[in-house]
Amino acid sequence: MPKIIFRLLLSFIVFVTVFVLIQQYLTPNSFGKYGHYRANAINDNKMRTSHYKGEENCVTCHQDVYDLKSEDVHDRVRCESCHFPKIAGSVDCEVMPPKVEGTLEFCAQCHAINLGRLKKGVPQLDFKEHKGDQNCIECHNVHAPWELKE
Amino acid sequence: MGTERIKKNRRTFFKSSAALIGGTLLYSLIKPFEGLAQTKEEDIQEDKTNFPLWGMGVDLESCIGCGKCAEACKIENNVPIEPFYFRTWVEQYTVKNNGEVKIESPNGGIGGLKQSVPDDEIFKSFMVPKLCNHCTKAPCVQACPVGATFISPDGVVLVDETYCIGCSYCIQACPYGARYMNPVTKVADKCTFCYHRISKGLQPACVEVCPTDARIFGNLKDKKSDLVKFLQNNPTQVLKPHLNTHSRVFYNGLSSEVK
Repeated sequence: MPKIIFRLLLSFIVFVTVFVLIQQYLTPNSFGKYGHYRANAINDNKMRTSHYKGEENCVTCHQDVYDLKSEDVHDRVRCESCHFPKIAGSVDCEVMPPKVEGTLEFCAQCHAINLGRLKKGVPQLDFKEHKGDQNCIECHNVHAPWELKE
Repeated sequence: MGTERIKKNRRTFFKSSAALIGGTLLYSLIKPFEGLAQTKEEDIQEDKTNFPLWGMGVDLESCIGCGKCAEACKIENNVPIEPFYFRTWVEQYTVKNNGEVKIESPNGGIGGLKQSVPDDEIFKSFMVPKLCNHCTKAPCVQACPVGATFISPDGVVLVDETYCIGCSYCIQACPYGARYMNPVTKVADKCTFCYHRISKGLQPACVEVCPTDARIFGNLKDKKSDLVKFLQNNPTQVLKPHLNTHSRVFYNGLSSEVK
């Protein structure tokens, strides 16, 4: 074999090998298992902490409130719809109680008049006309809205 | 004598490097065939047909625009609180008597949507929750130059945060505007159907908090799931069907005004 061809061949092999080595080194472990992505990224997405614990967990301590709620019109509203877990939500709710006040603004999120939400089964009212600036919880029990206070 | 020594060493040098290079090359040729040697049981376990196929139904006839879903999503997924970053948000569409359409979504609907148009000018008004549509043919996945966003075997479009280079191509490619650049992690972020929750059998946070059950989440392959029931009971549509994205978020009662 002529010397020049041998050298050409040798350098070609060296380049290909270096390319293959670098590619193997840079490609992450599970890349390409299911497609053109890192399959372990699916697990990374699974491993995130969840903040919302679900109603079953609330019921373990607050069965009384749950029973009260499920007998009245707020039965379809889940606990955490109003009691948002605090931003550090992975902590126990005994440490950071997710308290809510049934203020005008808070109840208005669902109950203020808006033409877009008429006839959807959620009572709409003009708060000013209803009771002026009086706070909702002064008359209504938030868990059982039709158990009116005196 | 000196040249003799060099010649000898050069020969051994060439021999050893040729062996090294040849060995690596041989290994790289064999490696792709490793898969063939694996047992068949493993293949069956990872068969795509055993995965669920997640989807969501949105009932516009129930949505009251309270914005609880958008708020819950931000808390659950550590989305920045600034009113610019959303994985899901609610829009209010107002069609006026003169035919004009006003679309508004102050703070993504968090805190409850308020009608800004006087009642006597309104022809109709409705709320539309928006989120990633988890397209079967996702434009964002095609646009990603590094393979950092992908459709998981259970049909959820996910982002590999460690692999994303933050080029924003996917954000431009998404026809639904469902992606944003996370200012904290500096990578693209989007709705994952709360992948960490659904893989544990929980509902996504937005579905969990919705007070009117306007969002229905489930497995499209499970013919008894709530989602399949919802699709059977209602005539549903997807957003922007002309784009052929084959998305898996189905809207009931979608008006033609919704873009």
